[in-house]
Amino acid sequence: MKNCDQFRDLIEAYALGALDPQERAAVEAHLATGCLDCAKAVEEARWLVSQLAYAAPEAAPSDMLKGRLMQTVRAEAQSHAKPHVMPSKSAIPFWLWTAVAALLLFSIYSAWNARRLQDEIRQANDRASQLLAERQKAEEDLADAKRQAMVMMDPSSHKIALWGEHAHPETLEAKWHSQFGVCIVGDKVPMPSANHVLQLWFIPKKEGMPPMPSAMVRPDASGKIMIYVSAPPESMDDTKAIAITEEPAGGSGWPTTPILWSGNVT
Amino acid sequence: MLLAAFTSTGPREVSPDATLLSLLLQKDVSAFEQLYDRHARLVYGLVLRILQQASTSEEVVQDVFLQLWRNADQYDPSRGPFVPWLCTMARNRALDHLRLKSERQRRREDLPGELPTIVVAPEYEKALDEKRRAERVRALMASLTPQQKKAIELAYFEGLSHSEIAATLKEPLGTVKSWIRNGLLRLKEGLQATT
Repeated sequence: MKNCDQFRDLIEAYALGALDPQERAAVEAHLATGCLDCAKAVEEARWLVSQLAYAAPEAAPSDMLKGRLMQTVRAEAQSHAKPHVMPSKSAIPFWLWTAVAALLLFSIYSAWNARRLQDEIRQANDRASQLLAERQKAEEDLADAKRQAMVMMDPSSHKIALWGEHAHPETLEAKWHSQFGVCIVGDKVPMPSANHVLQLWFIPKKEGMPPMPSAMVRPDASGKIMIYVSAPPESMDDTKAIAITEEPAGGSGWPTTPILWSGNVT
Repeated sequence: MLLAAFTSTGPREVSPDATLLSLLLQKDVSAFEQLYDRHARLVYGLVLRILQQASTSEEVVQDVFLQLWRNADQYDPSRGPFVPWLCTMARNRALDHLRLKSERQRRREDLPGELPTIVVAPEYEKALDEKRRAERVRALMASLTPQQKKAIELAYFEGLSHSEIAATLKEPLGTVKSWIRNGLLRLKEGLQATT
């Protein structure tokens, strides 16, 4: 007990929490030895100190505090009552599912929209390519038309009459321009057989040289033909004559039928 | 034990708090609400006396009662009555808050008008017991010398140590120790004498 006396004066202040660190440590070390008398004195002192709470003026908290508390407590009581019914729902709140669903929908829409835009871009590119090709063809046609006009109108063009052979009395007219090529026109030209065309041939002057195959045409409904060869296989001076035969569609590399029209170039 | 007479009921009587606490262990919301209604004023008054700021005090009181709700099993009825335990928890929380938030300095700059209106407990038996106990403690505190009363209040409501109180009051450390010890012993004797 004598050992306890040095601590008895500190017990109340210890319970009050007013001891400085060294004194508090000393009291706690003594209590740790298992001194029952001091432990009981501490319990009584703690109770005494707890009564000081009544020295504070009593005051009423706001109704909002109770409202907040009861709201929290009721929510926790509900979750405590059904802790394992729907664990997935309690683990992941509804708003998160909604956000995930919205994100998924947005991703699908974005992918679909990107695909649609790619298709539209591809179609636009195809259309642009088509228009460009059409424009190039139109330009080429226009250039051909200009060249044909030059061939037909230029006085320097060499005029060649193609006389009909056998049952083709119609005469075709050809004009050869040294720069712009050869044009052949004719009216009332009989229609070749089905799946056949009229094919133009250039017959070289040089002996032993085979006829050079050239353009093919079928007359229109009124029997008109217009053949234009912008780049004849031989020059005018090296060409003996030009001729036309009837050949299977697609043309031939060598005349397979008798000559229908022919005319000497030089 | 003479001091045991200051608990709300006798040692062999089951107190309303004990019944409510047993229900609280089963997460009974109604039991929690009744405990709150019975003790919120006392706890809030104590915390407000320490923190001197209404909104902060309500935060601390909310923490205290939520801890009671979530960890009711931490209270051991065999170790003492419920109210002192609850008040001890509330005081510790408030003093922690006071130290952590430096409320002490801020409090001096606060408006005194923030203190809520002090109310009297309802006129039912339990409240009368609480009220009488409070009157007894306040009367005994008033009977102390001003120095004893001031030193004890600085220790209990502001959490100051002997050395800090001596520095605050500009008095010798030994004198402060004597004030506190003698004041508490006088309080103890007064409580015993009134039973």
